[in-house]
Amino acid sequence: MNRHGGSLGHCVLPPVVAALLAVSVAAPAATSPTVDEIVARYVAARGGMQKIRSIQTLRQKGHLTTGANRLALVTRELKRPGRIRFEFTVQGVTGVYVSDGLNGWQVSPFDGSADPKPLPDEVVKEAAEQADLEGPLVDWEAKGHQAELVGRELVAGREAYKVKLTLKSGAVRYEYLDVKTLRLVRTDSTRQFRGYPVQLVTTYGDYKKVGGVLFPRWVEVEAVGRPQRTRIVVDEVEVNPPLSDARFEMPVPAQP
Amino acid sequence: MPALLFADEVVLKGAGKLSGRIVEQTDTMIKVDVGDGIIGVPTSRVERIVKGRSPLDDYDERASRLGPQDADGWRKLGSWAEQQGLSAQSRQAHEKVIAIAPDDPEARQALGFVRLDGRWVTEEESYRARGFVKYDGEWMTPAEAQMAQASVAADQARRDAEQRAIEAENAAREAQVRADEAEKRAKEAEEARRAYNPVYWGGWGYGLTYWPAGSYTVHR
Repeated sequence: MNRHGGSLGHCVLPPVVAALLAVSVAAPAATSPTVDEIVARYVAARGGMQKIRSIQTLRQKGHLTTGANRLALVTRELKRPGRIRFEFTVQGVTGVYVSDGLNGWQVSPFDGSADPKPLPDEVVKEAAEQADLEGPLVDWEAKGHQAELVGRELVAGREAYKVKLTLKSGAVRYEYLDVKTLRLVRTDSTRQFRGYPVQLVTTYGDYKKVGGVLFPRWVEVEAVGRPQRTRIVVDEVEVNPPLSDARFEMPVPAQP
Repeated sequence: MPALLFADEVVLKGAGKLSGRIVEQTDTMIKVDVGDGIIGVPTSRVERIVKGRSPLDDYDERASRLGPQDADGWRKLGSWAEQQGLSAQSRQAHEKVIAIAPDDPEARQALGFVRLDGRWVTEEESYRARGFVKYDGEWMTPAEAQMAQASVAADQARRDAEQRAIEAENAAREAQVRADEAEKRAKEAEEARRAYNPVYWGGWGYGLTYWPAGSYTVHR
């Protein structure tokens, strides 16, 4: 299927079947909306474009678990355009990971250093994907992405539109939008991990509105073929908190 | 356990912080007991110290009020520690629970045990029983392990080919490549040495790609 609702391959059909198909294709709106229609309904379901665009900064705090006794407190802060700061606290130790889309830095005491260090290029690239405050489906054309409706699939027993999104960077991901609620319920993506590709399935749930916009309060990441899950429960969402630009700038390393 | 001096939050210059108990402070180094080891940071990296109670103090105070047979109290304390991100204290409290009530499902699950064929087994035993294999320190299906292995082999072959081209082109450059490779291998060996637990990030954030090892060492 393409963004205009679908395509049929070349084949020879009996006249009656062809006539029936012609009728169903001629009135596709009820069953096969275009990707533009789906995204428009998705934006409306989230709270509407005006409310989404009014969000300039965002702070979310939560708990992350990835197996027994692997617990962390997490805070992510986003600021337009494309800035993200992620804090990760384990056992009283807080590391910070920041990107402005072009460059990134970290202070990661877990890695044996309390000094600010640049993030590797591949991590900055990955961070840039996460830093889109409104998500890549919103204004996808203006952002240089390509979207295509590729079908419907069941996600946790509910039917969802499956949208293939080719990001401007070339990365491909699949977004699943619940057919009834138009909420984002799943994202499939691929990450390079220690030299080999890993398929990631991210599911979202427990949506609640803050500032008139829906946010998931429950996120789970599964690496296909691996038993462990990373789960994030979002405890707090702040819309438009004051976030100075300085929070995203790399600190000057301290002199010994 | 080192003697407690006072409980504080040590805020690092620029970003990052340590919450726990300062156990030693000199002109050049501050050492903080975070409840699962001691971290030392150069004083020059510290922006300020915020004096106050840490969640570790609250944990100790609450634990001191619990009797050794109070399974419910220890369970609640373990759950509270979990909410504070205190993995070590959560583990400690839940271990107290199963010492009193070995079949307590909440404590067992908090400690990573899984019910299998009517008995509690560890997370790793459950993975093995479900057919997962450990490759490069990580549990995965045999098919995924094969794919990862093939991908790494292909990548290595590509790098070998590149290296041969470089060797032919520039001997001096070859020495540098070898040095880089050695450094990379050392880094990989160091990563493997740590209790390796990957953290995968999907659509919410990004950060550490592995879970930090349980015991921290002093940074010099």
